[in-house]
Amino acid sequence: MIEFQQLSRTYGDFTAVHPLSLEIRNGEVFGFLGPNGAGKTTTIRMMMGILVPSGGRALINGLDCHSERALVQRHVGYLPDNPIYYDFLRGREILQFVAEMHGMGRREAAGQARRMLAEFGLEEVVDEFAVNYSMGMKKKLGLACALIHDPQVLILDEPINGLDPRAAREVQDRLRQAAASGKTIFMSTHLLDMAEKVCTRVGIIHRGELTATGTLDELRARVNSNVSLEDVFLRLTEEGVTPEGASTP
Amino acid sequence: MNAPARTGAVPLWRSTSLLIRLRLRRLVNLFVAGSQGKKKPGDKTRTGNPGKKSSKVVLFLVWPLMLFSFGAITANSVMNLHGALDPPGSFWITVEFSPALTIGIAFLLFILWMASLLITIGSGELAKSEWDLEWLITLPVRSDTLLWARIAERSIVNPSGAMALIPACAAIAWYSQYRWAVPIIAVLAAWPLLLLASLVRTLIDTGLRLRMRAAQLRNLHAVISVLSIVTMYLAISIGLKGKSDFMLGIAASMPDWLLYTPMGLTVRAINERSFVDATVLVLSLLAEVAVLLWLGVMALRYQLRNGVVAGGARDAERKAVSNAETEADRPSLLKLSAVHRRELALLRRDRNFLVQSLVLPLLIVGGQLLLGTSGVASSMWTNPNVLASVAFGLAAYSLSMSAFQTLNSEGHALWLLYTFPRSIEEVLKDKAKLWGVLTLFYPLVLFAIGAFVAPSVGWTFFAAMLTALLGIPIYAFIAVALGVFGSNPLEQQPNQKVKPAYVYLYMSLSALYIYAIVTPQPVQRLIFMVLSMLLAAALWQKARDQLGYLLDPDASPPPRVSTSDGLIAVMLFFVAQAVAAVVIIGRGRATGAAVLFAFSIGGAITYALMRYVYAKAKTEGVPRILGDNSQALLGIVAGALAGAVGVFYMYGLEALDLLETAMEASKSYVSLGLWTLPLALIAAPLFEEFIFRGLIFGGLRRSFGVWPAALASAALFAIVHPPFSIIPVFILGVCAALVYERSRSLLAPMLVHATYNGIVIGAQTFLL
Repeated sequence: MIEFQQLSRTYGDFTAVHPLSLEIRNGEVFGFLGPNGAGKTTTIRMMMGILVPSGGRALINGLDCHSERALVQRHVGYLPDNPIYYDFLRGREILQFVAEMHGMGRREAAGQARRMLAEFGLEEVVDEFAVNYSMGMKKKLGLACALIHDPQVLILDEPINGLDPRAAREVQDRLRQAAASGKTIFMSTHLLDMAEKVCTRVGIIHRGELTATGTLDELRARVNSNVSLEDVFLRLTEEGVTPEGASTP
Repeated sequence: MNAPARTGAVPLWRSTSLLIRLRLRRLVNLFVAGSQGKKKPGDKTRTGNPGKKSSKVVLFLVWPLMLFSFGAITANSVMNLHGALDPPGSFWITVEFSPALTIGIAFLLFILWMASLLITIGSGELAKSEWDLEWLITLPVRSDTLLWARIAERSIVNPSGAMALIPACAAIAWYSQYRWAVPIIAVLAAWPLLLLASLVRTLIDTGLRLRMRAAQLRNLHAVISVLSIVTMYLAISIGLKGKSDFMLGIAASMPDWLLYTPMGLTVRAINERSFVDATVLVLSLLAEVAVLLWLGVMALRYQLRNGVVAGGARDAERKAVSNAETEADRPSLLKLSAVHRRELALLRRDRNFLVQSLVLPLLIVGGQLLLGTSGVASSMWTNPNVLASVAFGLAAYSLSMSAFQTLNSEGHALWLLYTFPRSIEEVLKDKAKLWGVLTLFYPLVLFAIGAFVAPSVGWTFFAAMLTALLGIPIYAFIAVALGVFGSNPLEQQPNQKVKPAYVYLYMSLSALYIYAIVTPQPVQRLIFMVLSMLLAAALWQKARDQLGYLLDPDASPPPRVSTSDGLIAVMLFFVAQAVAAVVIIGRGRATGAAVLFAFSIGGAITYALMRYVYAKAKTEGVPRILGDNSQALLGIVAGALAGAVGVFYMYGLEALDLLETAMEASKSYVSLGLWTLPLALIAAPLFEEFIFRGLIFGGLRRSFGVWPAALASAALFAIVHPPFSIIPVFILGVCAALVYERSRSLLAPMLVHATYNGIVIGAQTFLL
């Protein structure tokens, strides 16, 4: 279970994330929607212990994401917006390293890495240095890194941003599979079409504030029409909309 | 305003000047911005160095100085060449150079030209994955124009080339009896050579980029950077007394046709006084350069015939697959963690990393020793202390390039560490261990040679060796811990990845350890090693607090006084006092006044330095001397109690007939006469309380309760005192710590200390 308790983050005078409270139950696929610069990546980085909350806290399975980061990470897989890898290391080696860091033995890690690479169709490039990968391959490798230890929770920052349609479809299929196997997924995106296909529930963040959460139907009901998610999104992120009645799951 | 001029391609003159301006801007940014630190809106200036104007001033002061000193070296080189190439006894300070000397000087110019070329190529552009030509080609400039503009631009914006060639040309002009015109001649004469350097550089980097993959380029860059340092040393060695034989030998065997190369023509043109002949020489030089440039641009055009980016770079990669598949299954002899294996794989593949961390330190330290005039290179084989200092220095230097950089070598991939269910501290510990072992290599080799060469290998050899070798793993941990504070892993510019203040701190701490290696007293050696170990532990603890904020430095709490500061202060105090004593006493006898002054100077330096650093870093929790609640009376009472214990202890020793021997063992403490009083009553309380109570006890108190902190700080306080007084001094330390805990200002513990000293000295003088 993922829980935000009044989670907030400021940079000097600028408030990137206003106090945010939210609960995501096990097995949910939660889409965190918002325009560019709305605070999605900041929130995700706070969940990963990369950024420190200015106020409040984020909990995963009841553990604090900042102070108990290492414990939290045992059950979490993470894909950053733009995964950057070590120079001079091959995709296979990176995966194996990640697996070993998650506590697998050397042989087991190597085997697991091989399996993941096959599963993600990366066999052709296993022996190339990962910095030379195309964006799509980098994302796939990142997803393999995130899934290699079979985590309960997946945290994905823009998982299909920058991918071609085929790669995007593959990633979406992988995510649906993961969701079907009972994983909790928290992903940020501004691609509404993807959210509509994959997510069971969405939250819309705008200028650092959560303006609405709910299932797609609930959100449609809020704007009183049977329109596409895009219209809902545009309506809810219009300039000057105040977040009254926000966060009512 | 849509001027018609905007429709055509940008002409040569304009694009050249724009390129030059861009380059210069970048250079200035590189030098100046290093100390300015980017500010995010609302940032409360906790970046170590808030913007400095002084660095600009330094820049403009340093450049002329460097030009001048390079000029002096080349002038020396010319003299040395004259001594080696002209017949002995020929007095040359006429105008004309002999043909042999002209060839020699042309050779000198060639070596300098080569060194500057290698330095420019090795300075990092090759190692970057992005290439500016890829971007420039998208601008509305014709390709030919772009190439010419690029060569022209690089001939003008080339600091190392200018540094190498302009002073050399100035020296040649000076010996050709020019005076006021020397600067103008130097700049004009250097320019054709700079144009050629720029051409060769452009040909090399364009060609390499089109032919090689990024990883290969980075490795090649590493090799070139090593070559550039070697060439530079060789070039400098010509100008040094007693080190120049090798290069002068080569200069003597240079062929005559060197006279007709651009270098030879440059020397002859400067040296020639007949106007007609000089004009002929200048014209032939220009013609030669023009032809070479034209050929070069042709070659460049040929290189770029298929575009400015090599296609299919990734496909090429596939061919280079090695037997990597089996690597994971290979059983290893050593039990290495995943972190170790990854680091070693990087070291194996990334020549740049290898060169930086293990080769450059050897070259730089070795070069300094061989070219320097200190005589260390010869005395290290006979004096084990010198050998051990060199060995430790070499290891400490490689640690500053490796262990100190652990976070920076993670770089933008640092996020990966945050996804693991392991604390980052464990990962760093793994790395510290690895580097602590790897950097033992050179010292071990040095000691092996030393043991072989030395006339006798005795106790001093082993003691020095052991101190140095034990120090290296300790300093590996210190380097990693300081690296946590001293690196900006997310910074793009390589020169901003490291905060210089922390490198200096690390370097100075390493230099302090040299004291442990060379001190003749075994006790001091031991104390110093223990202090270093404690420092490593304390710094490590401080770094641990910081680790949660690595990717989020803005959220990290402000710096606070810590135990490690206290330990650094103790070590600094030790060394400053010893150095001051050596300076004051010299070869004379130690008088009471001298000891007092040495102690006070050491203390004052330490105190002033610590306060300065605290003030600069806006540190919180700096101990105050006067507080709202001074508790002076409590201090005197506690001091009297501790003093009573001290006197009682002395009587005990006296009764056991141990006092005489104990006092004998530490003569320096009783032979000071009246100078003891200001030392014991004012100086010692003032400086020692600041360090031991203010910094060490105060720092420990943040993580421990009153009693553990008081006991630990008192133990440390006791071991830096003479052995016979350890017990009473320990009790004094505990009393002072407890009083400081109550008063929260340093006056009361200072009174404890002064009262104790007064009572004990009084008892020694009047009762015993």
